[in-house]
Amino acid sequence: MNVMTGMRKRVTAGFLSIVCLLFFSGMVSFIELSRLSRDTGEILGANQRNIELAKQMLDAVHDQNMAMVRLSVFGDRSYDSLCRAGIDRLEQALLTAQEEAFDKSFLDSLAFATTELRVLTDNFLAFGTGGAAADSLRTGVADSSGSRWYNEVYEVQYDKLISAINNYMTSTQSSLAPRAERMKTNAYRAVTPVLISLVVMIAIVLMFYYFILVYCVSPVERMDRGLENYLSFRVPFTVKGELKDEMLALKEKIESLINLIKQSK
Amino acid sequence: MRIDVVLRYVGIVMLFIAAFMLVSAGISCVSGMDSAFYPLLLSALLTILLGVFPLIFVGKRDQISNKEGFCIVVGSWLVACVVSMFPYLIWGGEFSLANAWFESVSGLTTTGASVLTNVEALPRGLQFWRFSTTWIGGMGVVMFALVVLPTMGRSKMTLSNMELSSLARDNYRYRTQMIVHVLLVVYVGLTALSTVMLKLSGMNWFDSLCHAMSAAATSGFSTKNASVAYFNSPLIETVLIVTMGIAGMHFGLIYATVTGKRNNLFRSEVTRWYVGILLGCSALIAISLYAAEIYPTLTSSFRHAAFQFFSLMTTTGFASADSSIWPPFAIVLLMFGSIVCACAGSTTGGMKVNRLVLAGKMIRKQLQRQQHPNAILRVKLDGILQEDGLLHGVMIFIVTYMLAILAGTVFATLCGVDLMTSFSGTIACLGNVGPGFGEVYSMGNYAAIPAAVKFFYTLLMLLGRLEIFGLIQLFFIKWWR
Repeated sequence: MNVMTGMRKRVTAGFLSIVCLLFFSGMVSFIELSRLSRDTGEILGANQRNIELAKQMLDAVHDQNMAMVRLSVFGDRSYDSLCRAGIDRLEQALLTAQEEAFDKSFLDSLAFATTELRVLTDNFLAFGTGGAAADSLRTGVADSSGSRWYNEVYEVQYDKLISAINNYMTSTQSSLAPRAERMKTNAYRAVTPVLISLVVMIAIVLMFYYFILVYCVSPVERMDRGLENYLSFRVPFTVKGELKDEMLALKEKIESLINLIKQSK
Repeated sequence: MRIDVVLRYVGIVMLFIAAFMLVSAGISCVSGMDSAFYPLLLSALLTILLGVFPLIFVGKRDQISNKEGFCIVVGSWLVACVVSMFPYLIWGGEFSLANAWFESVSGLTTTGASVLTNVEALPRGLQFWRFSTTWIGGMGVVMFALVVLPTMGRSKMTLSNMELSSLARDNYRYRTQMIVHVLLVVYVGLTALSTVMLKLSGMNWFDSLCHAMSAAATSGFSTKNASVAYFNSPLIETVLIVTMGIAGMHFGLIYATVTGKRNNLFRSEVTRWYVGILLGCSALIAISLYAAEIYPTLTSSFRHAAFQFFSLMTTTGFASADSSIWPPFAIVLLMFGSIVCACAGSTTGGMKVNRLVLAGKMIRKQLQRQQHPNAILRVKLDGILQEDGLLHGVMIFIVTYMLAILAGTVFATLCGVDLMTSFSGTIACLGNVGPGFGEVYSMGNYAAIPAAVKFFYTLLMLLGRLEIFGLIQLFFIKWWR
């Protein structure tokens, strides 16, 4: 069985250390970059979803507004269902936004404005508090009182809701800023360990080079010089400096070989 | 010189540092796996790898030359500073390269100056790592290596020759092996005792341990942005004053006093001067504060004056009040304390009281020589005759120290830092004190200082920690026989 001893063991251990460090820095960069990629994906996804939901809300409110104009100003009852559908779509989009939102506080004012509009619409459709506009609905013809109600009551609420949707859009975008900032830090964190690992690896490779030079190359050169002196000038074989492990064994074997040759003569 | 031997012993020091990183990672784990766990664990693994590598190739050595011993000490300090900034760099936050290097050097040299604008934002694991660096530095990185060095005898002697100044060695009347034992007993004992006392004074265990480590190492790092002023407790301040005061004394003499030896603190002339300066200057500052109506009573004036002066003279740097608004007389005395600092043989930096006392005696000798040109005059300290070589060395040290202050001030002002900040910052960094005045006042930090000045200040910290000539010699190692 070939058991690793001395220099062989050291060189293998040194080599394995470098391999470990390479693997280690590779793993670190892989994990960090995966995390970075996930964070980037999450931010982009949240951003896209926010725009999509805001668009749905604005479309719903716009449709509902158009229907309300037809209803209140022109007394056209065929827009009744469209009016209800608009507010339903708005509520559905709001519900989705509430479920998906990281920070629900941005949606409070929007939810409040939506509820107010829902109450106003329901009351109007049920002739509860429609007041002046009720006449235009009953007669089915355009009426100045309906137009006045739309301008003075409904439009105020509508503007409030639009403003709340705009606020939701900007607030949600702003809420993504700290996450983007964190991502910047994460990017820094992803690169730093790899850089540090590289610096450590350079230090280890330099040490490895030095040790190989001191413990392997230099002894071989010294023995070579000693042998050359012996062969060329018959100077007794000597090796300067300290030798260890396999190098020491090699030196001793060369000395034994020289002694053997001397004895055979 | 055998570089492989130097690398082996520096590697052992790296393993010590890695052990502390693992402890900090453990604290991070216990604190709910805070954000410092991963940076600390990663740094520990890298440091272990760096430390173990030379051990694979280089075996034990019985003999270490002076040159090798010197390189081990200086190399250990420098490499320790480099690996200690790994957790900061990986964690990120406020730590840029300049900031991480500054914080690392400041911790290991026990300066305690910080670049952090919000210390409380750090996770617990990283907080503990900051205090670990000061604690390791307080004892001297190499002293830790000495404890575990498997070789006995001469190699230990050579390393401790480099680590301890000649003045400090004079008072150690023990064998080198015993010195390590004395240092450890006093240092660990002081930290443990201080931790318990701070806990009893109202701090939580974590803050108690951190502040005790900081006070025993005379570092000055705190877990709070407002430093000790955050606690606003006279009891805590008293415990810290006592700890800082003791940490500024010669450790060998503390051990001798506790064990009832004849050569103790009460018989030491330097200690008498040290305590005299501490109490005298505290009283003078208190009177000036009371006269300037900074504090309503003489008691509260003395409370803050004593804490601030003890803190600066022992090179700790804790703050119980904003001393930058104090009268000029008080500020001058605080600066005097920052320059003189405490006793040799302690964890403190700076010029040391020993040198001040010897310089005073030499001035007196010079005056006597002018009056009596033929008289044979000797300088004695604690009844021991001081050699001319040592006295000469003291004067050269003082001159070099002053020149370093001048150079630091000139460089900082050149980089656009105001005069007060430059001057006091240089004194604070060279003396390993921490806070100065101006922008770097007791409640402030070094965050706004330009990066070039931060690097220069870290050089001053290392110069101060290695007693100036220790570091300078590194550049002349080729000519060293």
